[in-house]
Amino acid sequence: MTAAATEQVLATIDREFDASMARLVEFLRFASVGTDPAHHADCRATAQWLKTMFDGLGLATTVHATSGQPVVVARYEPPAAAVAGRPHVPHILFYGHYDVQPADPLNLWTSPPFEPRVAKGKDGRDCIFARGAADDKGQVMTFAEASRVWLAKRGSLPFRLTFLIEGDEEGDAAHLDRFIAANKDLLKADVALVCDTGMWDAKTPSIVTSLRGYIGEDVTITGPRIDLHSGYYGGPVVNPIKVLSRILASLHDKTGKVTVPGFYDGVKTPSLAQRKSWKRLGFDERGFLGGVGLKTAAGEKDFSVLEQVWVRPTAEVNGFWGGYTGAGGKTVLPAEAHAKLTFRLVPGQNPAKLIKAFRAFVRAQLPDGCKARFTSHGGGAAASIPHDSHWITKASRALKDEWGREPVLAGEGGSIPVVESFARHLRMDSVLMGFVNEDDALHSPDENYKVESYHKGARAWARFIGEIIRELES
Amino acid sequence: MTNVNAALADIDNSLDQIIARLFSFLRIPSISADPAYAGECEKAAQWICAELASIGCEASVRPTPGRPMVVGHYTPPDATAKTPHVLFYGHYDVQPADPLELWDSPPFEPVRRKNKKGVDQLVGRGTADDKGQLMTFVEAARALIKADGKLPIRATFLIEGEEESGSPSLVPFLQANKKELACDAAFVCDSNMWDVKTPAITTRLRGLAHEEVTVTGPSIDLHSGMFGGPAMNPIRALSKMVAALHDKKGKVTIPGFYTGVSELPAAVKKQWRSLRFSEKKFLGDVGLKSAAGEKGYSVLEQIWARPTAEVNGMWGGYTGAGTKTVIPSQAHAKFTFRLVGKQDPKKVIKAFQAFAKKQMTGDAKISFSGKGGGSPASTIDEKNPYIRASAAALKAEFKRETVMMGGGGSIPIVRYFKDILGMDSVLVGFGLDDDAIHSPNEKYNVSSFHHGMRSWVRIMAELGK
Repeated sequence: MTAAATEQVLATIDREFDASMARLVEFLRFASVGTDPAHHADCRATAQWLKTMFDGLGLATTVHATSGQPVVVARYEPPAAAVAGRPHVPHILFYGHYDVQPADPLNLWTSPPFEPRVAKGKDGRDCIFARGAADDKGQVMTFAEASRVWLAKRGSLPFRLTFLIEGDEEGDAAHLDRFIAANKDLLKADVALVCDTGMWDAKTPSIVTSLRGYIGEDVTITGPRIDLHSGYYGGPVVNPIKVLSRILASLHDKTGKVTVPGFYDGVKTPSLAQRKSWKRLGFDERGFLGGVGLKTAAGEKDFSVLEQVWVRPTAEVNGFWGGYTGAGGKTVLPAEAHAKLTFRLVPGQNPAKLIKAFRAFVRAQLPDGCKARFTSHGGGAAASIPHDSHWITKASRALKDEWGREPVLAGEGGSIPVVESFARHLRMDSVLMGFVNEDDALHSPDENYKVESYHKGARAWARFIGEIIRELES
Repeated sequence: MTNVNAALADIDNSLDQIIARLFSFLRIPSISADPAYAGECEKAAQWICAELASIGCEASVRPTPGRPMVVGHYTPPDATAKTPHVLFYGHYDVQPADPLELWDSPPFEPVRRKNKKGVDQLVGRGTADDKGQLMTFVEAARALIKADGKLPIRATFLIEGEEESGSPSLVPFLQANKKELACDAAFVCDSNMWDVKTPAITTRLRGLAHEEVTVTGPSIDLHSGMFGGPAMNPIRALSKMVAALHDKKGKVTIPGFYTGVSELPAAVKKQWRSLRFSEKKFLGDVGLKSAAGEKGYSVLEQIWARPTAEVNGMWGGYTGAGTKTVIPSQAHAKFTFRLVGKQDPKKVIKAFQAFAKKQMTGDAKISFSGKGGGSPASTIDEKNPYIRASAAALKAEFKRETVMMGGGGSIPIVRYFKDILGMDSVLVGFGLDDDAIHSPNEKYNVSSFHHGMRSWVRIMAELGK
């Protein structure tokens, strides 16, 4: 029954695609640049437009004032009849953002950034050109459109659904973090769907299942009480720059492994099957490194570049300073040296334990006369969903059915703040899937979203919803 | 006979005016290392030139490609071919004053104040290094001329403005003005006393070589999330090189570094041991407990007779508040090498560059931007008659035997005076180990300044005998 229902929903999406495009065009007309005070009225208008749109789907929509731009929360509560006899009603949260990057430099746009236009892209496919088309308005609408058709076809859904659409993604993540912390009951769900990522390539969908976490630590090494003349004191006096250099030099062994004791505790090596599947992706390591002027991968020797970025932890020095750094020379022996470090963490690593281990590692290397001081910039654990999670299974099946290809289960080297906020405040996992293509020019002039991404994205989400319904009703 | 006592009494009586004069000199921020202060250096040169003219010198400010030199000549009316002719050297430029926030009073607003222990001090950048010191011989000459109508010697004053930045114009200037500047001997006032009560003449000076390096990795700063792991980090590459510069015994590991370094003669070792130098106090004064230099050498030997490799500054990446998850494209460091014996600065820099290049692996590229130059170490014979005359005069002022000591710092001028002008240098200075030269709150004890001027009166009189 459900398979047939899904087919009907897909057919409706196809049939009503023009209307769906028209709605996206309306959304794209708002110049909702969240970081520019001149556009804050546009942001408020966009939030109102979203409210009207979600209300139209039959959702209870509220617009919340925050310390930044307004947040839109749209809630679908299944009628009692739809969930009768179920001990647990699943709750799914969909996340996206309505704010967009500033559009300048305007002169590099082929057509005005907030006057959406469909035209052929570089690869000959139809694209919708506008600021926010791919990041993230087009992506938000893929799920909204899938939900619209399901609700229209079926009259109800057998699960709770909450849309959380924010306006500070391109700005300060602290605004949404505070909102999430203050609205835990409203937002706590079984899973978060985050639609702000891309495809593996033009034909292959992708799900991001792990994000590295990080911790930030500043270290100051102090030696002599004051800066000293290197002539009168050079020799017998300890130099904090040298001490800190030695510590940083000892942070990695010759194979690129981090030497802090206990650093790899809890880190799992990816399975052979997983490693093989990544290898098959044919990732262009040379191109990746060559693009930034490098030739040789400098990470852990036993891992590929993709693995080094996706699933291996790192210790990095982001900044270093000490002594005289101005023009010319100064024959000084500095009293202090400083470094800023960040550690990228992978699942299994405990941030609090690692901070302790790192500090002990530094202290153990201090010569007589030197002291170490630390400042923590906090951070968060890595986030990941096991590949055998039923959410990943459903998402994979939906994507495979739509594209005819197994999705790549990818890692992401950086941290996505909202995923961290979900994990920290709500203990909620995130499934990250999106339909951006490499040449969509996010953050750049002529940003665009493939019409096919919009269409197939909506269809993929429709299939995903179909999967959930099928499981609930089987 | 020179009227020494009248000149000494005049100095005692006019101390306040003399300090006020020094303060107007100290207020000029004549930082030679920073091009932004070139105008201030010019001002300081004009100021000292006017002072020399005021005591009867034929004085002039002499342009160079860098900061100007000041030269003053004094010839007594009764000069004969036998009248000794000596050169007095000092420098009007000062070190940069940062970090400014660590100064108790602004570096270029000098103050006279008593410290917690009641010691009368002059505080400000340049009080000890070297404006206060060079004014000791200028004021001594003024007092003698006032008391006697003349100096008992011919004097040439050479005040340079690039001492704190490697003296790039000095050699060409000495070469171009050999005839004008060659004297029987030179007096250099830029060194320390043995302690607050004991005068000293410095007879050994370490040389100096500079280098600055930049290590480049990625072509642009990278996001450490997207590239952390596979992208090489130049700060790490530079740290590794710095860490490899010394072995566990504190020896410098650069191949060939110790070529030309000889062990100290046993007699000198013995003399230094007899000084009962307190290593504990020397290190304790700057907040340290143990010596970090070459094992097997005393602290005095580490400073006076052993070469070093030091990092004076290092920087790269994000150094502001909070975190920035960046992998920097570049990292930088400034190095100096203190040289002894026959170490050749050019060879040391070459050896260092070869060593540094060898330490770079993978994509790390290193470039060198030091200006070269530098100076070898120098040693002066303690039997030199000018040294002996000075030692006697100092003993008369301080009532203590003069210590013949080494100096850890480099005063390249000493070498140049010998090589270019053929004259020996006598290094007499009144600085103290706790003067914090090159550091915040640089000071000069009023007693150093006062006894310093009185000592020069005695030395000039002794030379005229």
